[in-house]
Amino acid sequence: MTEEPYRWVEAIANRREYIETQLAPGSPIAALSFRDGILFVTVGHARQKLFEIYDRIAMGAIGHPGDIERLRLAAIELASTEGFTRSATDVSLRRLAYYSLSPLLKSAFEQIYGPPFLARMIFAEVGATAADDLFLRVDYDGAIVANGRATDTNPPRFSAVGGTARATEIMDALLRRDHDSGQTLNRAMTIALDAWTAGSLGADQSSGNEVPSQQTLAEHRTQKLKDATVEACVLERKNQGPICYRPILGEELKELIKA
Amino acid sequence: MTNESLGEVFSDFPALLRRRGLLGEPPGLTNSPTIAGSNFTPTQATTILAFKFGQGVLVAGDRRATAGNTVVYDRADKVLEIDRHSIMAIAGVPATAWEMARVLEHSLQYFRRTQLQEMSVHGKVRALSKLLRDNFGFVVQGIGVVVPIFATYDFAGDGQARLYFYDAMGAQFEVAEYAATGSGSPAVRGVLFYENRWGKKPLHKLREDEAVTLALRALDTAAEADTATGGVDRNARIFPLMKVISREGIRTLPEQQIALRFKRTVA
Repeated sequence: MTEEPYRWVEAIANRREYIETQLAPGSPIAALSFRDGILFVTVGHARQKLFEIYDRIAMGAIGHPGDIERLRLAAIELASTEGFTRSATDVSLRRLAYYSLSPLLKSAFEQIYGPPFLARMIFAEVGATAADDLFLRVDYDGAIVANGRATDTNPPRFSAVGGTARATEIMDALLRRDHDSGQTLNRAMTIALDAWTAGSLGADQSSGNEVPSQQTLAEHRTQKLKDATVEACVLERKNQGPICYRPILGEELKELIKA
Repeated sequence: MTNESLGEVFSDFPALLRRRGLLGEPPGLTNSPTIAGSNFTPTQATTILAFKFGQGVLVAGDRRATAGNTVVYDRADKVLEIDRHSIMAIAGVPATAWEMARVLEHSLQYFRRTQLQEMSVHGKVRALSKLLRDNFGFVVQGIGVVVPIFATYDFAGDGQARLYFYDAMGAQFEVAEYAATGSGSPAVRGVLFYENRWGKKPLHKLREDEAVTLALRALDTAAEADTATGGVDRNARIFPLMKVISREGIRTLPEQQIALRFKRTVA
């Protein structure tokens, strides 16, 4: 049946709808530049959703754990072999996403007899200054959204993904309003958690496209955090060795959330 | 790509590199041609030492690389950082040793990233052993002998420093106090043994500046009889390279600190 073009289009549309339904309840992820690096934040129940990919690159993902794992391993494999064969500075997020991951995702998505990847990812690469930080959103169909438009001389230094397009939009709006790449880690954590809360409210579809009020955010956040835990990691701009990734755990995380 | 990843249960980075043609197959042991009688003389590096002192492990290496009677290079780096708490120091053929260190460094990172946990000390020690064993064909051919020292800190275990030396076949020997390999190592072992037993205090009680003095004296002693060991180059002011591993990580001792110590207590 799929040799007929319109059947194929229909099959793809069905597939898209199915994947979107699967991804919709996913807990949002925010990534943003702050004074000393890039902060990733999400809220989850058990499984890890933020990962180190290479010296300067980290990833956060929502979707099916099996698919996330395959994509994560593929990304680490590509970055590691490149870094070994040439040098760590030759590993670039731009190439990793556009050249390697996007075609893989696109062909899996469009070959309708095979399984697609149920995953929506956010990648970030920390640079020497916040102006060099790169954020990429990579979707299940291989679509890539960079932070800001190509014509932006000063694109925003953040990115966010939610389970739905609406959740992502609301998070974007909040971050555009509140975020500044010169902020401290404390401040960045507060904004990231606000963004997460706005995103998870957006996914509930109970509000409009507006950024919820500070009071709504605070109430919702307190309620949601009762039976879930915050997961966070940073890519540090300046550190001892070449490895920038550091998970934020234990006391440090508690202090940051309290602030 | 992804199907391979799925089968990648052991997270073996050298195997991954071989599948992609980025790392040569280990040479076989049978029918290996040897270079005995040929004119080829491989570049070699010596001498390295490591010992535990009061604040951690000090790893030091002279800077000379030789091929036969020729000094090839006088600023060779034989003390290599593998991860935040591990050092591999090399005696032998640098071409093989540096590649080995590179594979090891990437293997440990690859393991940590894919498996989401740090490799155990035993795992790291075995990984280096495997690389040495894979290299044994080259050793038999006479062109790739590497005899490293591996020093690290065991966080998951008892929180103590660990020190190993290897033979060219890949056997690892854990030592409690000190290790030295390379052509100048007999002299170094003599110095360290003597100092540990009859010196003012045993090695594990030395302060950092005392440890630096001892390492300088040991390497200078080795250089006295072994032409392949650089020791301290007094004319060009080239000093041995020294790194310290402690609970906090690895610190490269600044050349000025070593130079000052040399002036005061060795020269």
